[in-house]
Amino acid sequence: MAPSALADIPPPSGRNSPKPAPIKIWTVKEPPFEGFRPIDHEGYRRSTSDTAIIIDNGSSAVRAGWSFDAKPRLLTPPLWAKYRDRKLNRTFTFIGSDVYSDGTARGQAKNVYEPGSNIVNNWDAMEGVLDYCFLKLGVDGANGRIDRPVVMTEPVANLGYARKTMSEILFECYGAPSVAYGIDSLFSYNYNGGRHGLVVSSSYTSTHLIPVVDSKPLLSQTTRLNWGRFQSAEYLLKLLRLKYPSFPGKISDPQAEDLVREHCYVSQDYEHELSHYLDWTGLEDRDHIVQFPYTEQVVVQKTEEELAAAAEKRKESGRRLQAQAAKMRLEKLKRKEEELEYYQQLTQQIQNTTKKEGKRILDSNDFDDESQLEKRIRELEKAVRKARNKDVGDEDEEPQEPPTFPLLDVPDEQLDEDGIKQKRQQRLMKSNYDARQRAKAEKEKEKARLAEEQRLDEERREKDFEGWVEERRIARQAIIQKIKDRERLKAELGNRKSLANQMRMKTIANLASDNPTKKRRRGGGDDDTFGADDADWGVYRTVATGEQSDDEEEEDLNTNLKNIEAQLLKHDPNFNEESTREAQSDWTKSLVHAFLRGPWPYESESQKEAHQLHLNVERIRVPEVVFQPSISGLDQAGIVEIAASILTERLAENPYRKDVMKDIFLTGGNTLFQGFEERLYNELRAVLPAGSELKVRRAGDCVLDAWRGAARWAEKPQSKASFVTRAEFQEKGADYIKEHDLGNAYSY
Amino acid sequence: MAPLTTASDESNHQALLNKLDIYAIRKPFRNPHWKPPQRRNKNVKQIIADAARKESSVMASQTNSGVATPNQQGSEAVTPANGSGRPLNIAQAEQRLSTLVLGKNSRAAMAATTTGPAATYTNIESAPSFHPSSQRRYCDITGLPAPYTDPKTRLRYHDKEIFGLLRTMPQGTTEGYLAARGAHTVLK
Repeated sequence: MAPSALADIPPPSGRNSPKPAPIKIWTVKEPPFEGFRPIDHEGYRRSTSDTAIIIDNGSSAVRAGWSFDAKPRLLTPPLWAKYRDRKLNRTFTFIGSDVYSDGTARGQAKNVYEPGSNIVNNWDAMEGVLDYCFLKLGVDGANGRIDRPVVMTEPVANLGYARKTMSEILFECYGAPSVAYGIDSLFSYNYNGGRHGLVVSSSYTSTHLIPVVDSKPLLSQTTRLNWGRFQSAEYLLKLLRLKYPSFPGKISDPQAEDLVREHCYVSQDYEHELSHYLDWTGLEDRDHIVQFPYTEQVVVQKTEEELAAAAEKRKESGRRLQAQAAKMRLEKLKRKEEELEYYQQLTQQIQNTTKKEGKRILDSNDFDDESQLEKRIRELEKAVRKARNKDVGDEDEEPQEPPTFPLLDVPDEQLDEDGIKQKRQQRLMKSNYDARQRAKAEKEKEKARLAEEQRLDEERREKDFEGWVEERRIARQAIIQKIKDRERLKAELGNRKSLANQMRMKTIANLASDNPTKKRRRGGGDDDTFGADDADWGVYRTVATGEQSDDEEEEDLNTNLKNIEAQLLKHDPNFNEESTREAQSDWTKSLVHAFLRGPWPYESESQKEAHQLHLNVERIRVPEVVFQPSISGLDQAGIVEIAASILTERLAENPYRKDVMKDIFLTGGNTLFQGFEERLYNELRAVLPAGSELKVRRAGDCVLDAWRGAARWAEKPQSKASFVTRAEFQEKGADYIKEHDLGNAYSY
Repeated sequence: MAPLTTASDESNHQALLNKLDIYAIRKPFRNPHWKPPQRRNKNVKQIIADAARKESSVMASQTNSGVATPNQQGSEAVTPANGSGRPLNIAQAEQRLSTLVLGKNSRAAMAATTTGPAATYTNIESAPSFHPSSQRRYCDITGLPAPYTDPKTRLRYHDKEIFGLLRTMPQGTTEGYLAARGAHTVLK
């Protein structure tokens, strides 16, 4: 797309390098409240009873003004909100963009038109909008009449009922002296000086193709495609809801229309452009980010000072704790020293008294005999020594010399009861010690074995490199397969009806039931071989689902895979960075990521990014529907096909056919897409006879020229005959119209 | 109190509403005796159905009465704006043997003239496409060209990565994608 994009070449690793941060981020607007519109008396004062009020009664906007105006004085969406405020005990009516001024009004707003069609559906709303038009145009009707003729646009082949009801309102409610109806796109064509041509009018709710010959429309050849800006916006909304199912923001209908208007364009070569739309090169230009309003989760960013203060505080409290601990240790030491002193005194005492007295003293101190007392003193001495060392800070490692067990070699006969006891104790300690030594030796052996294995492995690699690589590759494949299987299982367990889930249910039922399954019994007695194969334990994996059920295992597989890939990377020349699984599943290579998030990484934590929409393929996919309605499931032919059929078949006999081809005229807001003209020209060129002259042009103002055309038409004296007067209305019925070159044909 | 919008604040909101409200404003141009007919809001479907019913009943009564006069020949060339109302009613004209020839002639004339049968809201709708381009297939998820169709979900998809994605989608989502293409199952 952009020339700058061609310069970026993917780095050799095969991963695409992330693009620099997006340059432009689009936003959405709230529906505009245009503010209070003052009543415009000037036009009414200038007008005479012959000056017509021109109303382009469009489904996207109603435009009204006087026939002498250069552009409509009033432009308002056909919205109407009427509700009763119970608190104030008062009824409110708001029209057009005024409904956006207030939340309740917005909620109560109703459209004049049936959604997605060009037929008026809500006549109360229609009356409200007309009230508003006449009010703002300053119509000061005396005795309950507007006293000005009305020219109003209506859809092609308007339904009799809709016209009848409109006439009733205009004549009976507003007392219009005369009324004329016309087709908006024909007014626009007439205003742009067309005589023979094909009017392609793509507007808000529908697209019409009307051949015009000698300034007269061939209404019987007219074709309507039920697609317009409204349907485009609806379609885009549908696509976006599917694309971002958990989008936290709300996209309103007017916003969707804005998105279509701002970001979509007609592709010149849809097939070709589409198939390269999500290519990495230049994606940053094609991908438009639309930011919706969000509130950032407040993560208090601490300043340097605060961090330093916090660290200082932590240190301080640590110091305090240390000091406290030291103090406590000191107290403990003191207590122990006192205790030690006391027991030493006690020994002295015992030695100095009689045996009986000594026994009594021992008893009172909870000792059985002297040896226990001695043991106690030894322990205390040791503890005191240790504590002192610690306090001083130089805790010297006591030399670890292998302990001796002298008593073990002495036969039992030579020992007294005490000795035997001690011997038993020493035996226990010795076995402990031996076990420890054995474990140590085992560890050494294992280390040696691994070293040996590695050596063998290296030897093997040097001898039989092919085989070695093959082995590694197979192992890598196996792990990848395992990971994939696991992912699939996980995905299938999400579906309640899947086979995997049914198997799981069965397993749970089997595990829960007390009696063994029939199958096992038939299989051969009750020799339970569960666990003989490691894979048996997989049963519990299928049973346990949800969070953290298999995180560990996954980690394991991933580290194994990493190891193998590291080895391959180191030694296999054919295996490079690009072939690692990580590189292959890197987000920059993912089409889905490009579709959802453009060429930028996505941070799911970020509220900002969660509230972003990326428009890429949609930008050409949505306007394409006019050319290929089947994309959106609309079972109608596209405009090129219709135009071709009108030009080559239906007008085949017409003497003006060549002239019609020379003027393909575009009007209506939905043709404003960039590239619409060129695309239509190219496609028509391809289907029309070679050498025939073809011209496609656009209305000077696709949106307002219909109104201007109607105003100019109303000013012409010869148009006066086409107005239906009040008397004719009363005589000939409400659906009576007079035919003229820019209006519908009369049918009953 | 109605909720506010960004355009106003608490203090001036009610004043703004009072200013915008057109219910309370006098509308002198309206006929004070105007009473809208009951149930006048109809949707397109209803209107078309009503019109069809009316048309068929008119046709029947005209055929039976025998007093209705057929329009004079050639009236379809003149614009009815200048007077006489309706295009030729062929069915009715053919009822009389004497006008049988006339009916045939006028039908031929109609085919020859550029006007043809009158355009109605329903008959100007574009017909389904027979062009091969309407057979083109696009990925339901991304919109890219789709050479494959998943037989299980009936979704069209672009490549195997998308296939992996659509196989993990819940039922409702795949239906949503089908609905965007108008290919979903509608239960009636």
